[in-house]
Amino acid sequence: MTRLAIRNLFQNRTRLIISVGGVALALMLILSLDGIVLWIQQRVTAYIDASGADVFVAQAGVRNMHMASSSLPADREALVAGVDGVESVTPILYATNVVAVGEERTIAYIIGLPSQTLAGGPWIVSAGRADPGPGGAVIDRGIAEKSGVGLGDHVEIMGRPFEIVGLSGGTTSLTNSIAFIGSEDFSKLRGDPDTVSFLFVRVEPGASPPDVAGRIESEVDGVTAQTRQEFAAQERQVVRDMSTDLVRIMNAVGFLIGLAVMGLTVYTATLLRRGEHGVMKALGARNRDLYASVSIQALVSVGLGLGVGLVFTLLLSAVVPRLASNLGLAISLASVGKAALASLVFAGAAAFLPIRQIRDLDPAMVFRGK
Amino acid sequence: MLIAHRNLTREKTRLALSIGGVALAIMLVLILDGMLAGMYRQITSYLDHSRGSVVVAQNGVRNLLGATSLLPAGAVADVQAIGGVAEAVPILSQFVILDLHGKKQPTYLVGYSPELGGGPWDVVAGRTPETDEEMVFDRVLAARHDIGLGDEVALMDRSYRVVGLSDGTTSWMTSFIFLRQSAVQALLRAPGAASFLLVDAEEGASAEAVRDRISEMPGVEALLKMDVQANDRRLFGKFFSAPVRLMTGIAFLIGALVVGLVIYTATVERRREYGVLKALGARNRVLYSVVVVQAFWAALAGTAFGILLALGAQAAIMAARPQFLIVLQADMAGRALLIGMGMGLLAALFPARAVAGLEPAEVFRR
Repeated sequence: MTRLAIRNLFQNRTRLIISVGGVALALMLILSLDGIVLWIQQRVTAYIDASGADVFVAQAGVRNMHMASSSLPADREALVAGVDGVESVTPILYATNVVAVGEERTIAYIIGLPSQTLAGGPWIVSAGRADPGPGGAVIDRGIAEKSGVGLGDHVEIMGRPFEIVGLSGGTTSLTNSIAFIGSEDFSKLRGDPDTVSFLFVRVEPGASPPDVAGRIESEVDGVTAQTRQEFAAQERQVVRDMSTDLVRIMNAVGFLIGLAVMGLTVYTATLLRRGEHGVMKALGARNRDLYASVSIQALVSVGLGLGVGLVFTLLLSAVVPRLASNLGLAISLASVGKAALASLVFAGAAAFLPIRQIRDLDPAMVFRGK
Repeated sequence: MLIAHRNLTREKTRLALSIGGVALAIMLVLILDGMLAGMYRQITSYLDHSRGSVVVAQNGVRNLLGATSLLPAGAVADVQAIGGVAEAVPILSQFVILDLHGKKQPTYLVGYSPELGGGPWDVVAGRTPETDEEMVFDRVLAARHDIGLGDEVALMDRSYRVVGLSDGTTSWMTSFIFLRQSAVQALLRAPGAASFLLVDAEEGASAEAVRDRISEMPGVEALLKMDVQANDRRLFGKFFSAPVRLMTGIAFLIGALVVGLVIYTATVERRREYGVLKALGARNRVLYSVVVVQAFWAALAGTAFGILLALGAQAAIMAARPQFLIVLQADMAGRALLIGMGMGLLAALFPARAVAGLEPAEVFRR
């Protein structure tokens, strides 16, 4: 019966392509939305992951960098440096601002770096240097290309012109890029030399980052200290909490579309094969054999749809970043599992629809030439 | 026409499924468009309701929500002294993340002076803050987290008592909360700081002239309020238009495939009848038109049903999740119709080959 069902399914290629394509696209909706959210989550922590810091110290109660503000008195740097297990402390200034080239303006996280920084600088420098130095800026390569500027050209950051001295990679996301300037320039523009935003701490070899973070919080007033993993998890949570409702709504729509497409596919296929099913009944096949045949066809169709949808989504994840520098897709096993589960439901529901047709099928119709 | 109609309506379940499939795809397109339109409206809600016709920001900053702005010291008095300026209202604003019941909630914090303005425009419960320990909280966000008047909300290293609840200050991304400007200055360790000035022009003075005069000051950027609103819309549109376009494209292809599948099946089922028509002298053009008319009607019915579904989904989503504003406009229905027709035309390509390759003699051989 399985062989017969599969041969029957592959008999009409056009219909198979349409139905598998329909299911694949519905699953793509689910997979690509998950992919976009996961990509944003990964990108939002790219700076933290690559910063080289083991512990991040912020104003008390501040656990995020993305869409957040932190302000620490400058003297906290020396206090944190004195904590047991701390190897180095790098004060970082941070604000959301604009990288402007003429009328081309992009939102960027502006990082103010001390010279010879030990942590928090650009981690991929494809041209020029990593240290912005006085009057210099390191900006994202994609943003530079989009704005038509390169090394030696000028961009406006926080309302002041800076010379591009380096081009960085991996420093763009859906909403913003990252640009690096010198701490002194940053402080002058802010007019506030007595505060820093974050302290990036490297721990001594052999020291445990969670232990050092704990000691910093207990020994230094007015700070929150988190390990890199904790800080990154907080960042991912912002994106997740912001997008959860939206993803749920879109997933529900994608799921309904998948159900409709698969139901339609199996139903129309059963309709078209009424004659063949009639012959099988006339030859002694029972209703449950025909149900099994329809179910196998539904399963194989959604299985193929899942495979094609996954391949399409992977292709999309390769193509999209080339078309839009601020967008990408990351596919996880969890979202593939979710799509597979949805496929099973599609197949089950679709196989249920034509039950009445099969049950009411008259074996004699085949002899009547219907 | 009659053949097309009969072909299409002969199998009711199949027709219902195809209309349902197209309708869901159209609904998805409309809901995505509606969310984008709602987001645009929510993005500018603060400026829509705030006073002033000119906004002054730090040099280089042309958005309210996109970038942090910090005006040079003395900017308030300097702007106030410029000819044509009736009043310059300072605010100090900054995105902050609230931790509410284990959830991260990005929030736009506005520090303002209740005596001057720039605060919440519709306080539906309680009052505006009178001390630096009090705040006005967004009503929708408060309801989602069971926060009421008198409750304390932790913000960074301090906590504030909710004394007022404001309406019209929410979006799915962020909500507005309001403190006194001096409270935000203390929280951000930025004494005397202001981010933006909301400037009223004197009676008889044009906003453009006031803007131009302020722009001559060093370190500041002066823009008409409507330009800042447009910049915010453009900025957020840039963030979200790519994912929305991607989803819309997928939905369009799904709709086309659904209609294509139905018309293709209906055409293959009626092969013999098409063969008879050909044998009787009907040209391919006539048969194509039968196929196209079927695709057209299936897509049209699906689109109409999709618009109704979108209206239902709009009401359901906004009731369940009031932070989402979905704005469905008449022009979107027109666009949905165009998309539906596009689906129909694309769908007609599938069975066209089956019709074109049909042998008229086939009917006599069976």
